[in-house]
Amino acid sequence: MKIAVCVKLVPSTTALIRVVPGGKSLDFTGVEMVLSPYDEFALEEALKVRDKIPGSEILVVSVGGEASTKILEHAYALGVENCVLVKAPDADAPAAARCAAAVLKPYTPSLVICGRQSIEDDQWQFTGMLAELLDLPHVTAVSSFALAADNVMAECKRRIEGGEETIDVALPALISAEKGLNDPRSPTLKGRLNAKKKQIAVKMPAELGIDAGALSPSLKIEAYAPPPPKSPGKVIAKPPKEAAAELVRLLREEAKVI
Amino acid sequence: MAFDIFVIAEHRDGKLKKSTGELLTVARKLAAAGGGKVLAAAIGAGASKTASDLAAWGAGTVLIAEGPALEHYSSLRWTRVICDAIATRKPAVILMTVSSLSRDLAGRIAARANAVLASDCTALSAEGGGFKLVRPILAGRALVTAAHAGPAPLLATLRPNVFAAEKPAQPGAGSIETLAVADDPKDARVTVKSFVAGGGTRPELAEAAIVVSGGRSLGSADAFKIIYELADSLGAAAGASRAAVDAGYAPHSIQVGQTGKTVSPVLYIACGISGAIQHLAGMRTSKYIVAINTDANAPILKLADYAIIGDEFEVVPLLTEEFKKALKT
Repeated sequence: MKIAVCVKLVPSTTALIRVVPGGKSLDFTGVEMVLSPYDEFALEEALKVRDKIPGSEILVVSVGGEASTKILEHAYALGVENCVLVKAPDADAPAAARCAAAVLKPYTPSLVICGRQSIEDDQWQFTGMLAELLDLPHVTAVSSFALAADNVMAECKRRIEGGEETIDVALPALISAEKGLNDPRSPTLKGRLNAKKKQIAVKMPAELGIDAGALSPSLKIEAYAPPPPKSPGKVIAKPPKEAAAELVRLLREEAKVI
Repeated sequence: MAFDIFVIAEHRDGKLKKSTGELLTVARKLAAAGGGKVLAAAIGAGASKTASDLAAWGAGTVLIAEGPALEHYSSLRWTRVICDAIATRKPAVILMTVSSLSRDLAGRIAARANAVLASDCTALSAEGGGFKLVRPILAGRALVTAAHAGPAPLLATLRPNVFAAEKPAQPGAGSIETLAVADDPKDARVTVKSFVAGGGTRPELAEAAIVVSGGRSLGSADAFKIIYELADSLGAAAGASRAAVDAGYAPHSIQVGQTGKTVSPVLYIACGISGAIQHLAGMRTSKYIVAINTDANAPILKLADYAIIGDEFEVVPLLTEEFKKALKT
Protein backbone atom coordinates (compact mmCIF):
# COMPACT_ATOMS: atom_id res chain seq x y z
CA MET A 1 0.00 0.00 0.00
CA LYS A 2 1.25 3.47 -0.84
CA ILE A 3 0.89 5.77 2.16
CA ALA A 4 1.55 9.51 2.19
CA VAL A 5 2.04 11.73 5.23
CA CYS A 6 2.09 15.53 5.24
CA VAL A 7 4.13 17.24 7.96
CA LYS A 8 4.85 20.82 8.93
CA LEU A 9 7.57 22.63 10.84
CA VAL A 10 6.08 24.94 13.49
CA PRO A 11 7.19 26.96 16.53
CA SER A 12 7.25 24.80 19.67
CA THR A 13 4.20 24.95 21.92
CA THR A 14 6.15 26.60 24.72
CA ALA A 15 7.86 29.30 22.64
CA LEU A 16 7.04 32.91 23.35
CA ILE A 17 6.27 34.66 20.07
CA ARG A 18 7.07 38.35 19.76
CA VAL A 19 5.31 40.75 17.45
CA VAL A 20 7.68 43.06 15.57
CA PRO A 21 7.00 46.67 16.64
CA GLY A 22 4.50 48.14 14.20
CA GLY A 23 2.72 44.78 13.96
CA LYS A 24 3.80 43.99 10.41
CA SER A 25 5.28 40.58 11.21
CA LEU A 26 6.17 38.06 13.89
CA ASP A 27 9.67 37.59 15.21
CA PHE A 28 10.71 33.94 15.31
CA THR A 29 14.36 34.65 16.17
CA GLY A 30 15.60 32.07 18.64
CA VAL A 31 12.27 30.22 18.65
CA GLU A 32 12.65 26.46 18.64
CA MET A 33 10.97 24.93 15.58
CA VAL A 34 9.49 21.45 15.85
CA LEU A 35 7.37 18.90 14.02
CA SER A 36 3.73 19.93 14.54
CA PRO A 37 2.61 17.67 17.43
CA TYR A 38 -0.35 16.12 15.61
CA ASP A 39 1.94 15.14 12.72
CA GLU A 40 3.75 12.78 15.09
CA PHE A 41 0.55 10.74 15.37
CA ALA A 42 0.16 10.84 11.57
CA LEU A 43 3.69 9.46 11.04
CA GLU A 44 3.19 6.74 13.64
CA GLU A 45 -0.10 5.61 12.10
CA ALA A 46 1.57 5.44 8.67
CA LEU A 47 4.39 3.30 10.08
CA LYS A 48 1.88 0.98 11.75
CA VAL A 49 -0.10 0.49 8.55
CA ARG A 50 3.05 -0.01 6.47
CA ASP A 51 4.41 -2.63 8.85
CA LYS A 52 1.10 -4.51 8.78
CA ILE A 53 0.75 -4.70 5.01
CA PRO A 54 3.70 -6.30 3.18
CA GLY A 55 5.10 -4.29 0.29
CA SER A 56 3.90 -0.96 1.64
CA GLU A 57 5.86 2.28 1.49
CA ILE A 58 5.59 5.78 2.93
CA LEU A 59 6.15 9.10 1.19
CA VAL A 60 6.41 12.13 3.47
CA VAL A 61 5.78 15.60 2.07
CA SER A 62 6.46 18.95 3.67
CA VAL A 63 5.85 22.39 2.21
CA GLY A 64 8.08 25.03 3.72
CA GLY A 65 11.54 26.50 3.84
CA GLU A 66 15.00 24.94 4.08
CA ALA A 67 14.60 24.50 7.85
CA SER A 68 11.88 21.92 7.22
CA THR A 69 14.60 19.39 6.27
CA LYS A 70 14.89 18.84 10.04
CA ILE A 71 11.50 17.17 10.31
CA LEU A 72 12.01 15.17 7.10
CA GLU A 73 15.31 13.84 8.49
CA HIS A 74 13.31 12.85 11.56
CA ALA A 75 10.84 11.00 9.29
CA TYR A 76 13.72 9.17 7.60
CA ALA A 77 15.12 8.25 11.01
CA LEU A 78 11.72 6.74 11.85
CA GLY A 79 12.11 4.60 8.75
CA VAL A 80 9.92 6.09 6.02
CA GLU A 81 10.96 5.33 2.44
CA ASN A 82 10.87 8.75 0.74
CA CYS A 83 10.68 12.42 1.64
CA VAL A 84 9.88 15.42 -0.53
CA LEU A 85 10.32 19.06 0.42
CA VAL A 86 8.40 21.57 -1.66
CA LYS A 87 10.23 24.83 -1.22
CA ALA A 88 7.59 27.45 -0.58
CA PRO A 89 8.52 29.10 2.72
CA ASP A 90 5.66 31.59 2.71
CA ALA A 91 2.89 29.25 1.59
CA ASP A 92 -0.36 29.58 3.53
CA ALA A 93 -2.66 26.57 3.95
CA PRO A 94 -4.35 26.77 0.52
CA ALA A 95 -1.00 27.25 -1.23
CA ALA A 96 0.54 24.40 0.74
CA ALA A 97 -2.42 22.16 -0.11
CA ARG A 98 -1.93 22.92 -3.81
CA CYS A 99 1.79 22.08 -3.54
CA ALA A 100 1.15 18.85 -1.63
CA ALA A 101 -1.61 17.86 -4.06
CA ALA A 102 0.77 18.36 -6.99
CA VAL A 103 3.23 15.92 -5.41
CA LEU A 104 0.60 13.39 -4.32
CA LYS A 105 -1.60 13.26 -7.40
CA PRO A 106 0.94 11.34 -9.53
CA TYR A 107 1.95 9.23 -6.50
CA THR A 108 -1.64 7.88 -6.15
CA PRO A 109 -1.50 6.98 -2.46
CA SER A 110 -4.16 4.68 -1.01
CA LEU A 111 -3.97 6.48 2.31
CA VAL A 112 -2.98 10.05 3.13
CA ILE A 113 -2.47 10.88 6.80
CA CYS A 114 -2.04 14.40 8.23
CA GLY A 115 -2.17 15.96 11.68
CA ARG A 116 -5.60 17.41 12.47
CA GLN A 117 -4.17 20.94 12.35
CA SER A 118 -0.81 22.66 12.24
CA ILE A 119 -0.38 24.40 15.56
CA GLU A 120 0.87 27.52 13.81
CA ASP A 121 -1.95 28.80 11.62
CA ASP A 122 -4.61 26.83 13.52
CA GLN A 123 -6.84 27.07 10.46
CA TRP A 124 -7.80 23.37 10.20
CA GLN A 125 -7.86 24.07 6.49
CA PHE A 126 -5.09 22.06 4.86
CA THR A 127 -6.51 18.55 5.22
CA GLY A 128 -10.00 19.17 3.87
CA MET A 129 -8.58 21.21 1.04
CA LEU A 130 -6.00 18.55 0.13
CA ALA A 131 -8.69 15.86 0.21
CA GLU A 132 -10.84 17.91 -2.17
CA LEU A 133 -7.92 18.59 -4.53
CA LEU A 134 -7.09 14.87 -4.61
CA ASP A 135 -10.78 13.89 -4.79
CA LEU A 136 -10.43 11.67 -1.71
CA PRO A 137 -13.00 11.18 1.04
CA HIS A 138 -11.66 12.46 4.34
CA VAL A 139 -12.20 12.03 8.07
CA THR A 140 -11.01 14.73 10.48
CA ALA A 141 -9.44 14.27 13.92
CA VAL A 142 -9.47 10.48 13.97
CA SER A 143 -8.85 8.97 17.40
CA SER A 144 -8.94 5.33 16.25
CA PHE A 145 -8.22 3.84 12.83
CA ALA A 146 -8.70 0.22 11.78
CA LEU A 147 -8.31 -1.15 8.27
CA ALA A 148 -10.73 -3.92 7.32
CA ALA A 149 -9.32 -7.28 6.21
CA ASP A 150 -9.70 -6.27 2.56
CA ASN A 151 -7.53 -3.15 3.07
CA VAL A 152 -10.17 -1.21 1.13
CA MET A 153 -12.51 -0.12 3.89
CA ALA A 154 -11.44 1.46 7.14
CA GLU A 155 -13.29 2.21 10.35
CA CYS A 156 -12.49 5.50 12.04
CA LYS A 157 -13.62 6.89 15.36
CA ARG A 158 -14.00 10.60 15.93
CA ARG A 159 -15.04 12.46 19.06
CA ILE A 160 -17.61 15.14 18.43
CA GLU A 161 -19.88 17.24 20.62
CA GLY A 162 -21.84 14.93 22.87
CA GLY A 163 -20.25 11.64 21.90
CA GLU A 164 -18.27 9.58 19.45
CA GLU A 165 -18.91 8.81 15.81
CA THR A 166 -17.86 5.63 14.06
CA ILE A 167 -17.21 6.33 10.41
CA ASP A 168 -16.70 3.97 7.50
CA VAL A 169 -14.44 5.28 4.77
CA ALA A 170 -13.45 3.67 1.49
CA LEU A 171 -9.80 3.87 0.45
CA PRO A 172 -8.12 5.73 -1.16
CA ALA A 173 -8.85 8.24 1.59
CA LEU A 174 -7.36 10.97 3.73
CA ILE A 175 -7.51 10.96 7.51
CA SER A 176 -6.25 13.52 10.00
CA ALA A 177 -4.88 12.43 13.34
CA GLU A 178 -6.15 13.41 16.78
CA LYS A 179 -3.96 13.17 19.86
CA GLY A 180 -4.22 9.66 21.29
CA LEU A 181 -4.58 7.92 17.91
CA ASN A 182 -1.45 5.97 18.82
CA ASP A 183 1.73 6.18 20.84
CA PRO A 184 4.41 7.70 18.59
CA ARG A 185 7.80 5.94 18.62
CA SER A 186 11.16 7.64 18.77
CA PRO A 187 13.84 7.04 16.15
CA THR A 188 16.34 4.27 16.95
CA LEU A 189 20.10 4.80 16.67
CA LYS A 190 20.10 2.53 13.60
CA GLY A 191 17.30 4.62 12.14
CA ARG A 192 19.26 7.80 12.68
CA LEU A 193 22.32 6.32 10.96
CA ASN A 194 20.25 5.07 8.02
CA ALA A 195 18.65 8.48 7.70
CA LYS A 196 22.02 10.03 6.93
CA LYS A 197 22.22 7.98 3.72
CA LYS A 198 18.81 9.16 2.50
CA GLN A 199 18.23 12.09 0.20
CA ILE A 200 15.37 14.54 0.55
CA ALA A 201 13.92 15.30 -2.89
CA VAL A 202 13.56 19.07 -3.18
CA LYS A 203 10.97 20.50 -5.56
CA MET A 204 10.20 24.06 -6.47
CA PRO A 205 6.50 24.94 -6.89
CA ALA A 206 7.12 25.96 -10.51
CA GLU A 207 8.41 22.43 -11.28
CA LEU A 208 5.08 21.13 -10.02
CA GLY A 209 3.17 23.47 -12.28
CA ILE A 210 2.20 25.88 -9.51
CA ASP A 211 2.51 29.51 -10.50
CA ALA A 212 3.03 32.54 -8.29
CA GLY A 213 -0.69 33.35 -8.31
CA ALA A 214 -1.54 30.00 -6.73
CA LEU A 215 0.99 30.73 -3.98
CA SER A 216 -0.21 34.20 -3.07
CA PRO A 217 -1.90 34.45 0.33
CA SER A 218 -5.67 33.93 0.39
CA LEU A 219 -6.30 36.36 3.25
CA LYS A 220 -4.63 39.76 3.29
CA ILE A 221 -2.99 40.05 6.70
CA GLU A 222 -2.96 43.68 7.84
CA ALA A 223 -1.44 43.41 11.29
CA TYR A 224 -0.23 41.11 14.02
CA ALA A 225 -0.77 41.89 17.67
CA PRO A 226 0.07 40.25 20.96
CA PRO A 227 -2.96 39.08 22.95
CA PRO A 228 -4.52 42.08 24.73
CA PRO A 229 -3.09 42.58 28.22
CA LYS A 230 -5.39 41.97 31.15
CA SER A 231 -5.62 44.38 34.03
CA PRO A 232 -4.61 42.82 37.33
CA GLY A 233 -7.38 40.84 38.96
CA LYS A 234 -8.59 40.71 42.54
CA VAL A 235 -6.93 38.35 44.95
CA ILE A 236 -9.45 37.40 47.61
CA ALA A 237 -7.28 37.29 50.70
CA LYS A 238 -9.59 35.69 53.23
CA PRO A 239 -9.81 32.36 55.02
CA PRO A 240 -11.09 29.62 52.66
CA LYS A 241 -14.75 29.64 53.67
CA GLU A 242 -15.13 33.41 53.55
CA ALA A 243 -13.08 33.56 50.34
CA ALA A 244 -15.41 31.07 48.67
CA ALA A 245 -18.47 33.07 49.73
CA GLU A 246 -16.87 36.32 48.59
CA LEU A 247 -15.96 34.85 45.19
CA VAL A 248 -19.53 33.72 44.64
CA ARG A 249 -20.75 37.21 45.61
CA LEU A 250 -18.31 38.90 43.19
CA LEU A 251 -19.24 36.58 40.33
CA ARG A 252 -22.88 37.30 40.97
CA GLU A 253 -22.88 41.03 41.75
CA GLU A 254 -19.78 42.40 40.02
CA ALA A 255 -19.13 40.14 37.04
CA LYS A 256 -22.80 39.12 36.81
CA VAL A 257 -21.95 35.77 35.28
CA ILE A 258 -23.92 33.44 37.54
CA MET B 1 -23.31 46.32 -4.25
CA ALA B 2 -25.58 44.42 -1.96
CA PHE B 3 -24.16 41.27 -0.49
CA ASP B 4 -25.89 38.30 1.11
CA ILE B 5 -24.78 36.40 4.18
CA PHE B 6 -25.25 32.65 4.36
CA VAL B 7 -25.39 30.93 7.76
CA ILE B 8 -24.90 27.18 8.12
CA ALA B 9 -27.07 26.36 11.13
CA GLU B 10 -26.11 23.65 13.58
CA HIS B 11 -28.76 21.54 15.19
CA ARG B 12 -29.32 18.10 16.57
CA ASP B 13 -32.65 16.59 15.47
CA GLY B 14 -34.10 20.00 14.80
CA LYS B 15 -33.00 21.72 18.00
CA LEU B 16 -30.77 24.70 17.16
CA LYS B 17 -27.47 25.15 18.93
CA LYS B 18 -27.02 28.37 20.86
CA SER B 19 -24.06 29.30 18.67
CA THR B 20 -26.33 29.48 15.62
CA GLY B 21 -28.04 32.49 17.26
CA GLU B 22 -24.61 34.11 17.47
CA LEU B 23 -23.99 33.46 13.78
CA LEU B 24 -27.33 34.96 12.79
CA THR B 25 -26.74 38.04 14.92
CA VAL B 26 -23.42 38.64 13.14
CA ALA B 27 -25.07 37.83 9.80
CA ARG B 28 -27.78 40.45 10.33
CA LYS B 29 -25.20 43.15 11.09
CA LEU B 30 -23.13 42.27 8.02
CA ALA B 31 -26.19 42.08 5.77
CA ALA B 32 -27.46 45.43 7.06
CA ALA B 33 -24.09 47.02 6.26
CA GLY B 34 -24.23 45.68 2.73
CA GLY B 35 -27.94 46.00 2.06
CA GLY B 36 -28.16 42.25 1.57
CA LYS B 37 -30.20 39.33 2.79
CA VAL B 38 -29.63 36.72 5.48
CA LEU B 39 -29.98 33.12 4.37
CA ALA B 40 -29.73 30.16 6.71
CA ALA B 41 -29.39 26.50 5.81
CA ALA B 42 -30.23 23.55 8.03
CA ILE B 43 -29.15 20.11 6.90
CA GLY B 44 -29.89 16.60 8.12
CA ALA B 45 -32.48 14.77 10.19
CA GLY B 46 -34.95 17.20 11.75
CA ALA B 47 -33.73 20.19 9.68
CA SER B 48 -37.22 21.43 8.81
CA LYS B 49 -38.05 21.77 12.52
CA THR B 50 -35.48 24.58 12.78
CA ALA B 51 -37.28 26.83 10.27
CA SER B 52 -39.34 28.91 12.68
CA ASP B 53 -36.40 29.38 15.08
CA LEU B 54 -34.16 30.46 12.22
CA ALA B 55 -36.78 33.01 11.17
CA ALA B 56 -37.04 34.26 14.76
CA TRP B 57 -33.29 34.85 14.67
CA GLY B 58 -33.73 36.95 11.55
CA ALA B 59 -33.24 34.63 8.61
CA GLY B 60 -35.01 35.97 5.53
CA THR B 61 -34.70 32.69 3.69
CA VAL B 62 -34.42 29.27 5.27
CA LEU B 63 -32.92 26.54 3.13
CA ILE B 64 -33.78 23.03 4.24
CA ALA B 65 -32.02 19.86 3.15
CA GLU B 66 -33.18 16.58 4.60
CA GLY B 67 -34.19 13.12 3.52
CA PRO B 68 -32.91 9.55 3.55
CA ALA B 69 -29.52 10.46 2.03
CA LEU B 70 -28.95 12.98 4.83
CA GLU B 71 -30.19 10.84 7.70
CA HIS B 72 -26.62 10.33 8.90
CA TYR B 73 -23.76 12.77 8.62
CA SER B 74 -21.49 12.44 5.61
CA SER B 75 -18.84 15.06 4.93
CA LEU B 76 -19.14 14.59 1.17
CA ARG B 77 -22.94 14.91 1.07
CA TRP B 78 -22.91 17.94 3.36
CA THR B 79 -20.19 19.54 1.26
CA ARG B 80 -22.23 18.98 -1.87
CA VAL B 81 -25.42 20.48 -0.42
CA ILE B 82 -23.60 23.53 0.94
CA CYS B 83 -21.48 24.11 -2.18
CA ASP B 84 -24.49 23.76 -4.48
CA ALA B 85 -26.28 26.40 -2.40
CA ILE B 86 -23.23 28.68 -2.51
CA ALA B 87 -23.02 28.28 -6.29
CA THR B 88 -26.65 29.28 -6.84
CA ARG B 89 -27.11 31.91 -4.09
CA LYS B 90 -23.66 33.52 -4.41
CA PRO B 91 -23.33 34.85 -0.86
CA ALA B 92 -20.45 37.19 -0.02
CA VAL B 93 -19.92 35.52 3.34
CA ILE B 94 -20.62 32.01 4.62
CA LEU B 95 -20.69 31.66 8.41
CA MET B 96 -20.15 28.52 10.47
CA THR B 97 -19.50 27.94 14.17
CA VAL B 98 -16.18 26.50 15.27
CA SER B 99 -17.29 22.91 15.94
CA SER B 100 -16.60 19.34 14.88
CA LEU B 101 -18.79 20.01 11.85
CA SER B 102 -16.91 23.06 10.59
CA ARG B 103 -13.54 21.50 11.46
CA ASP B 104 -14.50 18.61 9.20
CA LEU B 105 -16.05 20.61 6.36
CA ALA B 106 -14.61 24.11 6.10
CA GLY B 107 -11.39 23.28 4.25
CA ARG B 108 -13.23 21.08 1.79
CA ILE B 109 -15.98 23.67 1.18
CA ALA B 110 -13.37 26.40 0.72
CA ALA B 111 -11.56 24.32 -1.90
CA ARG B 112 -14.70 23.37 -3.82
CA ALA B 113 -16.47 26.74 -3.65
CA ASN B 114 -13.25 28.72 -4.20
CA ALA B 115 -13.91 30.51 -0.92
CA VAL B 116 -11.34 32.12 1.33
CA LEU B 117 -11.37 30.49 4.77
CA ALA B 118 -10.78 32.33 8.04
CA SER B 119 -11.07 29.98 11.01
CA ASP B 120 -11.81 30.82 14.65
CA CYS B 121 -12.69 34.47 14.08
CA THR B 122 -13.15 36.53 17.25
CA ALA B 123 -14.23 39.67 15.35
CA LEU B 124 -15.81 40.17 11.94
CA SER B 125 -17.20 43.33 10.39
CA ALA B 126 -18.03 44.85 7.03
CA GLU B 127 -15.60 47.57 6.10
CA GLY B 128 -15.00 49.57 2.94
CA GLY B 129 -16.98 47.23 0.72
CA GLY B 130 -15.06 44.23 2.08
CA PHE B 131 -14.65 42.50 5.40
CA LYS B 132 -12.27 42.77 8.29
CA LEU B 133 -11.65 40.02 10.79
CA VAL B 134 -9.51 39.09 13.76
CA ARG B 135 -8.36 35.56 14.44
CA PRO B 136 -5.91 34.09 16.93
CA ILE B 137 -2.96 32.12 15.59
CA LEU B 138 -0.29 30.10 17.38
CA ALA B 139 -2.97 29.05 19.85
CA GLY B 140 -3.69 32.59 20.89
CA ARG B 141 -0.08 33.72 21.29
CA ALA B 142 -0.76 36.31 18.57
CA LEU B 143 -3.78 37.87 16.92
CA VAL B 144 -4.03 38.50 13.21
CA THR B 145 -6.14 41.26 11.70
CA ALA B 146 -6.94 40.39 8.12
CA ALA B 147 -8.98 41.88 5.32
CA HIS B 148 -10.91 40.26 2.56
CA ALA B 149 -12.20 42.24 -0.39
CA GLY B 150 -13.65 39.49 -2.57
CA PRO B 151 -14.62 38.63 -5.23
CA ALA B 152 -14.25 35.11 -3.79
CA PRO B 153 -16.71 34.49 -0.94
CA LEU B 154 -15.37 34.56 2.60
CA LEU B 155 -15.98 31.44 4.67
CA ALA B 156 -15.60 32.44 8.32
CA THR B 157 -15.89 30.13 11.31
CA LEU B 158 -16.74 32.01 14.50
CA ARG B 159 -15.69 31.02 18.01
CA PRO B 160 -18.71 30.20 20.16
CA ASN B 161 -19.52 32.49 23.13
CA VAL B 162 -17.45 35.36 21.68
CA PHE B 163 -20.17 37.10 19.66
CA ALA B 164 -23.43 38.31 21.22
CA ALA B 165 -26.66 36.51 20.37
CA GLU B 166 -29.54 39.01 20.10
CA LYS B 167 -32.88 38.19 18.60
CA PRO B 168 -34.20 40.93 16.31
CA ALA B 169 -37.33 42.87 17.30
CA GLN B 170 -38.90 41.74 14.06
CA PRO B 171 -38.37 38.15 12.94
CA GLY B 172 -37.09 37.47 9.44
CA ALA B 173 -39.46 36.40 6.70
CA GLY B 174 -38.14 32.87 6.99
CA SER B 175 -39.49 31.81 3.63
CA ILE B 176 -38.67 28.15 3.32
CA GLU B 177 -36.97 26.66 0.31
CA THR B 178 -36.03 23.04 -0.06
CA LEU B 179 -32.56 22.23 -1.26
CA ALA B 180 -32.38 19.40 -3.74
CA VAL B 181 -29.88 16.74 -2.78
CA ALA B 182 -28.01 15.48 -5.80
CA ASP B 183 -27.23 11.82 -5.21
CA ASP B 184 -23.70 11.10 -6.37
CA PRO B 185 -22.52 7.56 -5.56
CA LYS B 186 -19.04 8.98 -4.91
CA ASP B 187 -20.45 10.70 -1.85
CA ALA B 188 -21.09 7.31 -0.26
CA ARG B 189 -17.34 6.83 0.20
CA VAL B 190 -17.58 8.19 3.74
CA THR B 191 -20.51 7.75 6.11
CA VAL B 192 -21.15 7.84 9.81
CA LYS B 193 -22.10 4.31 10.79
CA SER B 194 -22.99 4.96 14.40
CA PHE B 195 -22.98 7.58 17.12
CA VAL B 196 -22.58 6.78 20.78
CA ALA B 197 -23.59 9.55 23.15
CA GLY B 198 -21.07 10.04 25.88
CA GLY B 199 -19.76 12.57 28.32
CA GLY B 200 -22.76 12.26 30.61
CA THR B 201 -25.03 15.15 31.41
CA ARG B 202 -22.51 18.01 31.39
CA PRO B 203 -22.61 20.55 28.59
CA GLU B 204 -20.17 20.30 25.71
CA LEU B 205 -16.77 21.69 26.66
CA ALA B 206 -16.17 23.82 23.57
CA GLU B 207 -19.58 25.49 23.82
CA ALA B 208 -20.18 25.69 27.56
CA ALA B 209 -20.81 29.07 29.15
CA ILE B 210 -18.93 27.96 32.27
CA VAL B 211 -15.93 25.63 32.43
CA VAL B 212 -14.31 24.23 35.58
CA SER B 213 -10.85 22.75 35.03
CA GLY B 214 -8.45 20.78 37.18
CA GLY B 215 -4.71 20.29 37.00
CA ARG B 216 -2.13 17.64 37.77
CA SER B 217 -1.86 18.79 41.38
CA LEU B 218 -5.11 16.93 42.05
CA GLY B 219 -2.92 13.84 42.05
CA SER B 220 -5.39 11.18 40.91
CA ALA B 221 -8.42 10.45 38.76
CA ASP B 222 -10.42 10.00 41.97
CA ALA B 223 -9.54 13.46 43.19
CA PHE B 224 -11.02 14.92 39.99
CA LYS B 225 -14.37 14.24 41.63
CA ILE B 226 -14.18 17.64 43.35
CA ILE B 227 -13.82 19.30 39.91
CA TYR B 228 -16.82 17.41 38.54
CA GLU B 229 -18.90 18.32 41.61
CA LEU B 230 -18.06 22.00 41.28
CA ALA B 231 -18.86 21.84 37.57
CA ASP B 232 -22.21 20.16 38.28
CA SER B 233 -23.15 22.75 40.91
CA LEU B 234 -22.92 25.36 38.14
CA GLY B 235 -24.20 23.32 35.23
CA ALA B 236 -20.71 23.74 33.80
CA ALA B 237 -18.46 21.64 31.59
CA ALA B 238 -15.40 20.02 33.14
CA GLY B 239 -11.90 20.47 31.73
CA ALA B 240 -8.36 19.41 32.51
CA SER B 241 -4.81 20.55 31.85
CA ARG B 242 -2.51 18.56 29.57
CA ALA B 243 -0.42 17.49 32.56
CA ALA B 244 -3.52 16.05 34.25
CA VAL B 245 -4.53 14.24 31.05
CA ASP B 246 -1.03 12.89 30.44
CA ALA B 247 -0.97 11.63 34.03
CA GLY B 248 -4.19 9.73 33.34
CA TYR B 249 -6.38 11.70 35.77
CA ALA B 250 -8.83 12.87 33.09
CA PRO B 251 -9.67 11.81 29.51
CA HIS B 252 -8.12 13.62 26.55
CA SER B 253 -11.61 14.54 25.38
CA ILE B 254 -11.72 17.21 28.11
CA GLN B 255 -8.18 18.55 27.71
CA VAL B 256 -8.08 22.33 27.41
CA GLY B 257 -5.10 23.85 25.63
CA GLN B 258 -3.07 23.87 22.49
CA THR B 259 -3.15 20.10 21.99
CA GLY B 260 -6.69 19.80 23.26
CA LYS B 261 -9.77 21.97 23.01
CA THR B 262 -9.97 25.71 22.77
CA VAL B 263 -12.67 27.19 24.97
CA SER B 264 -13.94 30.72 25.38
CA PRO B 265 -16.63 30.51 28.05
CA VAL B 266 -18.10 33.41 29.97
CA LEU B 267 -16.53 32.00 33.15
CA TYR B 268 -13.46 29.77 33.41
CA ILE B 269 -12.50 28.39 36.82
CA ALA B 270 -8.97 26.96 36.93
CA CYS B 271 -8.35 24.80 39.99
CA GLY B 272 -4.75 23.96 40.78
CA ILE B 273 -3.63 24.85 37.26
CA SER B 274 -0.41 26.82 37.16
CA GLY B 275 -0.99 28.08 33.63
CA ALA B 276 1.56 26.66 31.19
CA ILE B 277 1.60 28.55 27.87
CA GLN B 278 -0.05 25.62 26.19
CA HIS B 279 -2.97 25.71 28.65
CA LEU B 280 -3.39 29.48 28.56
CA ALA B 281 -3.56 29.21 24.78
CA GLY B 282 -6.73 27.18 25.08
CA MET B 283 -8.67 29.42 27.47
CA ARG B 284 -7.27 32.94 27.40
CA THR B 285 -10.23 34.36 25.49
CA SER B 286 -12.58 33.40 28.35
CA LYS B 287 -14.51 36.45 29.53
CA TYR B 288 -13.90 35.97 33.28
CA ILE B 289 -11.14 33.79 34.65
CA VAL B 290 -11.00 32.54 38.24
CA ALA B 291 -7.86 30.89 39.59
CA ILE B 292 -7.61 28.78 42.70
CA ASN B 293 -3.99 28.06 43.39
CA THR B 294 -1.56 27.62 46.25
CA ASP B 295 1.14 29.53 44.38
CA ALA B 296 0.58 33.29 44.33
CA ASN B 297 3.15 33.55 41.50
CA ALA B 298 1.56 31.02 39.17
CA PRO B 299 1.28 32.38 35.58
CA ILE B 300 -2.48 31.81 35.57
CA LEU B 301 -2.86 34.62 38.11
CA LYS B 302 -1.75 37.15 35.49
CA LEU B 303 -4.88 36.31 33.52
CA ALA B 304 -7.23 35.82 36.46
CA ASP B 305 -9.97 38.34 37.21
CA TYR B 306 -10.47 36.76 40.63
CA ALA B 307 -8.12 34.54 42.55
CA ILE B 308 -8.12 32.62 45.78
CA ILE B 309 -4.69 31.65 47.01
CA GLY B 310 -5.29 28.36 48.72
CA ASP B 311 -5.40 24.61 48.55
CA GLU B 312 -7.88 23.40 45.95
CA PHE B 313 -8.78 20.38 48.10
CA GLU B 314 -10.06 22.78 50.72
CA VAL B 315 -11.39 25.65 48.59
CA VAL B 316 -13.12 23.75 45.76
CA PRO B 317 -15.59 21.79 47.93
CA LEU B 318 -16.39 24.98 49.88
CA LEU B 319 -17.01 26.77 46.61
CA THR B 320 -19.31 23.96 45.48
CA GLU B 321 -21.38 24.47 48.64
CA GLU B 322 -21.47 28.25 48.18
CA PHE B 323 -22.58 27.96 44.54
CA LYS B 324 -25.30 25.47 45.48
CA LYS B 325 -26.56 27.89 48.13
CA ALA B 326 -26.35 30.93 45.86
CA LEU B 327 -28.06 29.29 42.91
CA LYS B 328 -30.95 28.10 45.05
CA THR B 329 -31.87 31.66 45.96
